[in-house]
Amino acid sequence: MNAKPAWDGAIDEPTRALLGRRKVQPFTGTRPVIVAVDLYDLVYDGGPRPVRELMADFPASCGEHAWRALPPTVALYAAARANAVPIVHVTYDTRLETDPRGIHPTNRRRRQPDLALYKIKDELAPAAGELVVYKKRASAFFGTPLAAFLNELGADSIFVIGESTSGCARSSVVEAWSLGYPVAVISDCVFDRSELAHKASLFDMHLKYAEVMDQPAAIKHIRALSAQRN
Amino acid sequence: MRDFEDYCWRDVVTEAELHIYSAYVRERGVGKHPALLVVHPGAGLEIPAAWTGPAAQLLSEARRRGLLVLHSVPPGATPVAALAPLPDELVCTRPCESAFFSTDLERMLTTGHAQSLIVCGAPTSGALRASVIESKSYGYKVALAEEAVGDESIFLHKIALFDLAHKYADLMSLAELVEQLDEQTGTASKKAQTETNKA
Repeated sequence: MNAKPAWDGAIDEPTRALLGRRKVQPFTGTRPVIVAVDLYDLVYDGGPRPVRELMADFPASCGEHAWRALPPTVALYAAARANAVPIVHVTYDTRLETDPRGIHPTNRRRRQPDLALYKIKDELAPAAGELVVYKKRASAFFGTPLAAFLNELGADSIFVIGESTSGCARSSVVEAWSLGYPVAVISDCVFDRSELAHKASLFDMHLKYAEVMDQPAAIKHIRALSAQRN
Repeated sequence: MRDFEDYCWRDVVTEAELHIYSAYVRERGVGKHPALLVVHPGAGLEIPAAWTGPAAQLLSEARRRGLLVLHSVPPGATPVAALAPLPDELVCTRPCESAFFSTDLERMLTTGHAQSLIVCGAPTSGALRASVIESKSYGYKVALAEEAVGDESIFLHKIALFDLAHKYADLMSLAELVEQLDEQTGTASKKAQTETNKA
């Protein structure tokens, strides 16, 4: 844990007191896999500006929150690749025939965005040989082969990163936990359009399903496993 | 029906935060051919019981209309007494958080010809939230009555309902939801109308 938790300042005292009864299994395991949820161009659209300024022209953008998470995520990928930790990338299935009547993961009123914007951001692009999961719903597991991919990779623990903290990342965390994996959420590498929803979900996930850790702690974990193997 | 944002999260979500969720503001309602899913909480949680009365009222309204009623119960937990399943109601034991995960709930909804869901239960931020999101993922329109759900933490309750109401479900008061059922079945009772007027 950090000196200051990632949800600092957002959670009232009676709710924080529930951590006294937290029963989440520790984040152990020797073969972690990183599941990176929905890090496509659409959420960076309009640049690193406050979400309220981007709403009119870029309604799905997480703006400054997305951009703030980009450097730590790029560094996380470098550490993962250098230490043989697989990354599974998750993005939206844009095939038109999978969406013929406007069936969507949430109830947001939407203009159909340019489907090219569901391309994973260049800085975070899948490397040769890395798996990509295409999903239609909130959880990265729902209707996808992700659970099978994790078995085939021999995963015994899961890092979840990406967006949104309170939406797709969170429901993926709940499902990874349900499947029996120890789960860690890397706080600097998840983001949301709303800071309140971000912090409340980080706290709630730490309380119920996962270990919330910062990016330096995650990289330390990855390097320590690598050192044990050598 | 009350304003979209005029529910329990009013005092924890700022105007600035509401503004960035404005694209989710929409008409709400109960879907066609709804089933009622009662999410019973696990043992050992200290959830204030205020939600159980309204949930029992919702359950009785569903039974009175002959809706399919299903109960999701954690392994070994006793269903909430006020919401005890009747002998002909389906009980799905859930090993994890979502009422769907590793259960036959989806099969029961299909064979019971349900086309949408009304969900009540606890905890709002745990089993109920996960169940509502997976309902949406399965393609069901979901309706919630804000009084008929509860949580150990008032804060997590409010934030969970805020998230659910905007992204995944149609949240109403109990009176508003019952009124929707009446409109659907064309059986508006004087009693329900009186209660709606009061609310």
